[in-house]
Amino acid sequence: MLSVLAAHFVAAALAPFLVRWWGRNAFLALALVPAATTLWALLCAPGVVAGDPVGVNVAWAPEYRMSLAFRMDVLGLVMTLIAAGIGTLILVYCARYFSDDEPGLGRFAGVLTAFAGAMLGLVLADDLVQLFIFWELTTVFSYLLIGHNTERRESRRAAMTALTVTTLGGLTMLVGLIMLGEAAGTYLLSEIIAAPPRGAAVTVALVLILVGALSKSALLPFSLWLPAAMQAPTPVSGYLHAAAMVKAGVYLVARLTPAYGDTPAWQVLTVGVGVATMILAGWKALRQYDLKLLLAYGTVSQLGFLTALLGAGTRDAALAGIAMLCAHALFKAPLFLVVGIIDHSTGTRDLRELSGLRRSMPAVWWISVLAVASMAGLPPLFGFAAKESAFAAFEHGPAWQTLALVGMVVGTVFTVGYSLRFLWGAFLDKPEVPTTPVHAPGALFVAPAAVLAALSLLGGPFASALDPILAGYADTVPWGGAHPAHLALWHGFGTPLVLTAVCLAGGLLLFSRRGEVVWLGNRLALPDPNRIYRRVLAAVDTLAIQVTGITQRGSLPVYLGTTLVVLVVLSGVPILTGRLWEIEAPPVRLWDSPIQFVPAAVTVIAAVGVLFVRRRLFAVVLVGVTGYGAATLFMFQGAPDLALTQFLVETVSLVVFVLVLRRLPTRFTTPVLRGRRRINLLIGAATGTLVAVMAYFALAGRRAETISSGYPAAAEEAGGKNIISTILVDLRAWDTMGEISVLAVAAAGVASLMFVRRRARPVRGRMGVPVTPLPAISAVEPAGAPAEPNAVPWRPSGIAVAPRQLRIRPKWNPLWLPGAAALARERRSVIFEVTARGLFPVIVLLSVYLLLTGHTSIGGGFAGGIVAGLGLMVRYLAGGRYELYAAVHAQPGVLIGLGLVIAAGTALGGAVFGTEILDGGVFDLHIPVIGHLHVTTSLLFDFGVYLLVIGLILDILRSLGARIDEQLEREARDSAEAEEVTA
Amino acid sequence: MNHAAYSALETTLAAPVITQGPPDIDYGLLSPMLVIFAAGVLGVLAEAFVPRARRRVTQLVLALGAVLLAFVLTVSLVGALPADGAGIVVAFATVAVDRPTLFLQGTILVLALASLLLIAEHGQEESSFAAQAAAVPGSEEEREHVLAGSQHTEVYPLVLFALLGMLLFPAANDFLTMFIALEVMSLPLYLLCGLARRRRLFSQEAAVKYFLLGAFSSAFFLFGIALVYGYAGSVNFADVAEAVAGGGAGVIANGEPLLLAGIALAGVGLLFKVGAVPFHNWKPDVYQGAPTPITALMASCTLVAAFGALLRVFYVPFGGSVWEWRPMMWVVAILTMVAAAVIAVTQRDIKRLLAYSSVVHAGFILTAVIAASPEGLAGAMFYLAAYGFTTVGAFAVVTLVRSREGGGEAGDLTQWAGLGRTSPVLAGALGLFLLAFAGIPLTSGFIGKFAVFEAAVAAGATPLVVIGVLSSAVTAFFYVRIIVLMFFAEPAEEGPRVLRPGGPTGVVIAVGVAATVFLGVYPGPVLDTMLPQPAEAEVAGEAPTDMFAR
Repeated sequence: MLSVLAAHFVAAALAPFLVRWWGRNAFLALALVPAATTLWALLCAPGVVAGDPVGVNVAWAPEYRMSLAFRMDVLGLVMTLIAAGIGTLILVYCARYFSDDEPGLGRFAGVLTAFAGAMLGLVLADDLVQLFIFWELTTVFSYLLIGHNTERRESRRAAMTALTVTTLGGLTMLVGLIMLGEAAGTYLLSEIIAAPPRGAAVTVALVLILVGALSKSALLPFSLWLPAAMQAPTPVSGYLHAAAMVKAGVYLVARLTPAYGDTPAWQVLTVGVGVATMILAGWKALRQYDLKLLLAYGTVSQLGFLTALLGAGTRDAALAGIAMLCAHALFKAPLFLVVGIIDHSTGTRDLRELSGLRRSMPAVWWISVLAVASMAGLPPLFGFAAKESAFAAFEHGPAWQTLALVGMVVGTVFTVGYSLRFLWGAFLDKPEVPTTPVHAPGALFVAPAAVLAALSLLGGPFASALDPILAGYADTVPWGGAHPAHLALWHGFGTPLVLTAVCLAGGLLLFSRRGEVVWLGNRLALPDPNRIYRRVLAAVDTLAIQVTGITQRGSLPVYLGTTLVVLVVLSGVPILTGRLWEIEAPPVRLWDSPIQFVPAAVTVIAAVGVLFVRRRLFAVVLVGVTGYGAATLFMFQGAPDLALTQFLVETVSLVVFVLVLRRLPTRFTTPVLRGRRRINLLIGAATGTLVAVMAYFALAGRRAETISSGYPAAAEEAGGKNIISTILVDLRAWDTMGEISVLAVAAAGVASLMFVRRRARPVRGRMGVPVTPLPAISAVEPAGAPAEPNAVPWRPSGIAVAPRQLRIRPKWNPLWLPGAAALARERRSVIFEVTARGLFPVIVLLSVYLLLTGHTSIGGGFAGGIVAGLGLMVRYLAGGRYELYAAVHAQPGVLIGLGLVIAAGTALGGAVFGTEILDGGVFDLHIPVIGHLHVTTSLLFDFGVYLLVIGLILDILRSLGARIDEQLEREARDSAEAEEVTA
Repeated sequence: MNHAAYSALETTLAAPVITQGPPDIDYGLLSPMLVIFAAGVLGVLAEAFVPRARRRVTQLVLALGAVLLAFVLTVSLVGALPADGAGIVVAFATVAVDRPTLFLQGTILVLALASLLLIAEHGQEESSFAAQAAAVPGSEEEREHVLAGSQHTEVYPLVLFALLGMLLFPAANDFLTMFIALEVMSLPLYLLCGLARRRRLFSQEAAVKYFLLGAFSSAFFLFGIALVYGYAGSVNFADVAEAVAGGGAGVIANGEPLLLAGIALAGVGLLFKVGAVPFHNWKPDVYQGAPTPITALMASCTLVAAFGALLRVFYVPFGGSVWEWRPMMWVVAILTMVAAAVIAVTQRDIKRLLAYSSVVHAGFILTAVIAASPEGLAGAMFYLAAYGFTTVGAFAVVTLVRSREGGGEAGDLTQWAGLGRTSPVLAGALGLFLLAFAGIPLTSGFIGKFAVFEAAVAAGATPLVVIGVLSSAVTAFFYVRIIVLMFFAEPAEEGPRVLRPGGPTGVVIAVGVAATVFLGVYPGPVLDTMLPQPAEAEVAGEAPTDMFAR
């Protein structure tokens, strides 16, 4: 069984090569594979009919209870014979339908063969998942087959429609299958049918499965894809859309009816939808002019009929259904093939242009007569026998069955009507149309259709011989089998025969009034499902664009706002529903002393103000104010050390901001809309409140004693009085080590970004500009006298690029701020220069003081370093970048490195002289003049921090300050030169 | 440190935990991470000391070797796990080495290897990375660097550090370790995102967005940790789980809201990393802006790592409050599957489309998370592996299709028209990947989808599965649209230039195809050997804590 399946896929893989070697005759070779399958099925048939299914089960993914399980019972046998048998004939037909130079024929042959394999797998599958897999494979292959004529837009669109509809249905079905499998505890079809689970969930699962089945079989409301799919080459239509793929849905209904045929939802859906489809599609077929479309709507109608029969849930209906299934395959496939022959021989399928083919193609005409007679249900053909038993099955049922019977009769009237229309349209003489010229089809081209038509003919008389075989399936339906009916050509005179007569009479009437029928049909036409489908697609597209426009604006504030809102909602819900405020927490104090209110208010006002200002600089200052406010609060809280550090850091960052902002536009480029600003304000306030509330209550959850109670004693032991400083340089010196390393890295990062030109010069780049020592500055007279305003301002030579090595020999300088001489006159301010010069020593002294007293009083290396850095900043601001170079002769990197070395050295010194790394010591020195000096090794450590911080600030000033100055100057020069050139 | 001072501190505090002597850690179990870390550090040193000409080769050998070695070690660790228990916790129960950890780590390492190959691709065209990231885009300076053939070999150590974070993320057994892993993983990625060679401003914008949003999400995660700590008095997963199961650790009375808000906040942090709606906004922008190999790395490895962490957090510490977090996850999963699928329909850029598809897939995996069952865990893990291979392959294909003018990647889908005619193999591979994304049978995508949906149905989340299926139908629609475009449309006038895949990229695509087909046709071995065996009698609705080491 597995080898039969595998043979198909191997043949499919070989097909392109075969086609390349043998041209279209390769199809004959490929036909051997389904032919062999048919033979194999026939050999198995006696055993299967005797009630001994053939099966095989291989574990595949046991974790998900998936297996490769195949099983052939009577239903499987019938379907296999249809799929493989008709497949064989279709492949033979293909060998004459196509020409050798058909583009993409190799691929087509492969896909068609693979499709035959997938279809076979579908009908033989005994595992739900595997069933789904083959189901989807047929979808994909049919998509490729329908889209065979890739040049045609219509063809591509039809393929896409078929794929979308059937995939949607298939996926829905997957859910149903999983639900069914989970409910049953097994995914094996045979086991599920043997012991079907029941319940509401199973009913839902069945409905979902039916959606898949109905979409595959093109029943309402999914019928739109099948007529569109008629863009496919005729063999494909004949195989997929008459015999094989569309039968998959019907097959699934037939497969599950023995288990669920009595479920009301099942009956309503299958019978109701089936009969409705039968009537509506039949009515539509009556007004088609394209022979293929006529057959397509006819197929939809017949599929509705089959579904209604097989889903009805009685034994007799099932028998009629499976007989009708065979009959339909045997008459619809040859009709499609005939249309292909006509198309091929005359070049048209429009029945308004065809005339006189009855005489020019007699063989084809007689084949068609047989097939059409079977389709219309004329004795003594197979279709008649099947239809008779169908009518009989619904004859004595409850009211809904009678209603269904009426519907089926109406549908059959239409069937007879369009059957006659087909025959008349394709073959008969039409007085107003000239006889269509034909070139006669070859024998092999006609043979497949002839074989099928002959089987249609034989099926009638031998219906009673088929009865025991087909009953093998019908008997599995446990309901309504009290007086089992039998399949036979002649049931005697009874209601069914009367109904058949009615149908024939009605059909003849419709045919004779065909002009009026077409007119009426067009008048009463329902909205074209294709248009609805396209509208839905267009609506999805529009919706998608709108949703994208709303959610994906590319705007960071919007993204962040979305996240924040969700956050507030997500965590707000448990807070409100859980009544967080009832938690046992210390009571909220408004303030310790009313003075705290002032900085808090200032902070809040500044924060809100940031939202409303348009100038960047102002915004930065306001942000700084919030920082100062927090620092003030620290101070009121009794943490002057923290407050000092915070003040200093705020100041430095403010200056850094200002330095950077020079390169940015003064105002925010995109004005914030008032509405958006209000929303932002709201979101910000909500998030802030949430965070504050949570911070409060999270802390309220604390039960362990806080570590801070131990700090005073610890600081005392460490020989210091300033707890913060002691923590930094002693108790948690390890942390500080890490932090200053990070600082050093950050400084390196900032510098490397700004100095990229120098530090990461391309290998083939120019050599650096040679550097002249700086003291040359003092020797040069300041140029740029007011008499020559257009002259280029004085620039010390060779220092336009920050030098790699700056070797400076200290030299007494008569100027206060020598570097300031390099500034343009309008940038200089005497007052500022004088103040800066005067303040600088004081600031440095203060920084050293902070460094030294850090251990016992306010201060510390970090604060001291920042203060010294601020001094440098003042000098830079007053005197420009050359002043900065002159102020500190060391490179920032050297300072940073030195700082790190000292800190690390202290740490290692502890290990060498003490007991472990960072072990400290206290020395009380008595120096005669100065007096008592309390020194700890941590002071040395702090000194390292001090140097490092100075280095960091120097680095920032050099890169963000001096470097940007340079850029500005260069740009000014370039633009000036450009102006000169244009002048 | 000052001993006296410390002892003073010690006496004041109630219960000092001072270790005497080195801690006893089973380094063998941590060896994969240690190898990656060591290679990252060596890579940094190589940047400093290896001559420029030999740097790339050195870095490449180092990185590939380390990842390979780590993978071998990971596989060998599978045998070292105890047969009966779920796994072992190491380093004071901060890291859990159990089957899920090893499976995810192994997956991450293989995917990282593939991404590294893409990163290393340097064949006929220049690499995907900027010659000099610090040069102003469009400046003379940049041109000089490009002409000089500068390259950023720092990429390799950065990737290794990110990889370290990714390995630790799903293995972390307490919240703080997990947070550290999150940061170690994210920070290099923020940087790597900004290094694209083409459209550099775009790339930098993406990096800034990713960084800012990521920083916020990390902050939320940390906040969540604080609240959970407030509730449970511990950050260790096992302790938290115990507290949750026992209705509080006695730390705080009626602390439920703290726990729930904590779950919400930590959840937001994790959901941001996996890119679930409404925290997905960064994904399209970043995936599009980042250099494509980095996008591949993020789409595969980061997603696996983030979901690994998500699964562990929601299954172990929060496993006892499934009924509380499930509604939230339902909403997020539904939003993710529906919104992303709908938006994806309009995308005209292949990378953006893949980004949205990654969001949709995150939604599918969330359905398995919601199942909170061993099947859910197994399904999610299989899905992650399957999706990872497919997506790496897809991005590898993207790197090869370049636009005529400029030579950048041809992102716009209209340029892909008719690719199936001009380069059938490449288009065929992409077609296969797209079919796998759509979940067509016989590809790994189908088995994955089946696994997660089955788990969700078994856990009673059928409506979720129905929505998932509908959304996968919508996604299938646009995947197929690309296939149609490639195979059935006329090649565009100004068609793209398709590079011949160099060795590394070719290998990645081949591996992607092989894994997609193999996992689709024959998933048994992977499921058997690597996945934890789901316990037979597991009650749905209770998180499968016994599959994780605690």
